[in-house]
Amino acid sequence: MNAPLLAVTGLHKRFGGLHAVDDVGFTVDPGRLQALIGPNGAGKTTVFNLISGFLRPDAGRVTLAGQDITDRRPDRVARLGLVRTFQIVRPFAQMTVLENILVGFHARTRGGLAAALLRPPAVRRQDAAVRDEAEEILRTIRLTDRAAEPAANLTFGQQRFLEIGRALAARPRLLMADEPAAGLNPQETAFLGELLQAIRARGITILLVEHDMTLVMRVAEHIVVLDFGKKIAEGPPAVVRGDPAVLAAYLGTDEETAA
Amino acid sequence: MMFDAATLATFVVNGLTTGCIYGLAAIGLCVIFNASGIVNFAQGSFVMFGGMVAADLFGRAGLPLAAAVLLATGLAWCLGWVLMQGVIRPLLARRAPILILILATLALQIVLENAAMHALGTKPLNLPEVTPGLMFRLGGIAVSGQNLWIALGTLALVGLLWLFYTRTLMGKAMRACAVNREMASLLGISVERTIALSFAISAALGAAGGILITPTQYTQFNIALPYGIKAFVAAIIGGFGNVGGALVGGLILGVLESLAVAFVSSGYKDVIVFTLLLVILVLRPSGLFGSPVED
Repeated sequence: MNAPLLAVTGLHKRFGGLHAVDDVGFTVDPGRLQALIGPNGAGKTTVFNLISGFLRPDAGRVTLAGQDITDRRPDRVARLGLVRTFQIVRPFAQMTVLENILVGFHARTRGGLAAALLRPPAVRRQDAAVRDEAEEILRTIRLTDRAAEPAANLTFGQQRFLEIGRALAARPRLLMADEPAAGLNPQETAFLGELLQAIRARGITILLVEHDMTLVMRVAEHIVVLDFGKKIAEGPPAVVRGDPAVLAAYLGTDEETAA
Repeated sequence: MMFDAATLATFVVNGLTTGCIYGLAAIGLCVIFNASGIVNFAQGSFVMFGGMVAADLFGRAGLPLAAAVLLATGLAWCLGWVLMQGVIRPLLARRAPILILILATLALQIVLENAAMHALGTKPLNLPEVTPGLMFRLGGIAVSGQNLWIALGTLALVGLLWLFYTRTLMGKAMRACAVNREMASLLGISVERTIALSFAISAALGAAGGILITPTQYTQFNIALPYGIKAFVAAIIGGFGNVGGALVGGLILGVLESLAVAFVSSGYKDVIVFTLLLVILVLRPSGLFGSPVED
């Protein structure tokens, strides 16, 4: 067995009297497309924010490929290979679509100001490679024909895909997507499913927080279920779907049992 | 008081010349503000530092003019970097509120001014023109060659900055930081490194301006504060954070000042300029060109 890419152990977070995350632990194996689900208020997004360094846990540890990232600066975590997207889309609105993608490359390219201005051959080769890869990402997220427009001109759904593309440009080992289907229409959601599978096929591990059960059951290989800040079940979709604790958590509290 | 067209044109040209320097300093302010949210009150010190150090290297150390200019600009770059690493970065690491960071830059301005006074003296220093004695006629008026060098130097520096911002990944990363620092850092961009670079660029731009203007009006240890304030005003006229706007703001300010001297008197220069600033702010609180950093 491979060592897990991401390991979360004993994670706790309190907000005042609310124990939002209560001793949550799970792992994500490399190459997997894994989902984190649960009824509203289950603590999914908080767990996500704790893992990506957006919030600091009260207790617990997060390791990425064996390295402790619990208290690392966000840019260091990103350069170690963990990149996330947000439920609320936040593209760099005044920059073009292509520039948004190029920003994602910055972390893994070298060369300071002098190199940028003098442009030695190595930098020129790197720039050409970056441009090729950026165009490939634009094709993947179907925004090639919008490349030169300001990101603010895109539809909501396109901005969501742009954020995923921008994250891909940073060439993550683990892509964490927070409710990527939220606000998307059915066609866009269908494309999102294809996109997630295409990303996984490139060897990028994905951890997904998602409300859309149809999407989760279709694409995820492994599911972790939270309720009231605790992990209540874990396993492949078929197992989780029939788990009595999961059914109890969802039944009557959330209409999304439908899956 | 009436002027003929040629005299008026001379005042406008002189105003544009000084305006270039205000513009460069104002751009420097914007570069730092966009990267960090800090309003750098030490900006005028960079203008003073450039002129004083270049004049000292040339006049006292006897370096060739080109070497003195390049070395002074390079030292300013290093100064900006050192200020970031020595003062701003530790404050950022301790999560100091932005007001404290701004206060720190004000303290730096005073330290730099006094350091320059003790190290380089209180006397005004001068640099020779790039092309001594060169005059040319422009639409009926005589213009000094140095005015042309100032305009060309400013255009070249702004052009370089524009290429950096639009053509390089580091430049795009800096623009991304201006839009949303938090998001940029989640994509692996080191905000600290971006801010360090912004201080270095800003110091070099200010110093280059200080060097360019010195042959036309001398430099002295105490010019930092007036230049800092003018840079601030120019940046506000242009819409704080807007780099192109800052240059235009600097040119507008330079011309206004020059015309105020021409039509009223040099004693009323600041009264007129700052009254106009108040009028502009009341009519357009976000400056003439809006702001790219507003969200």
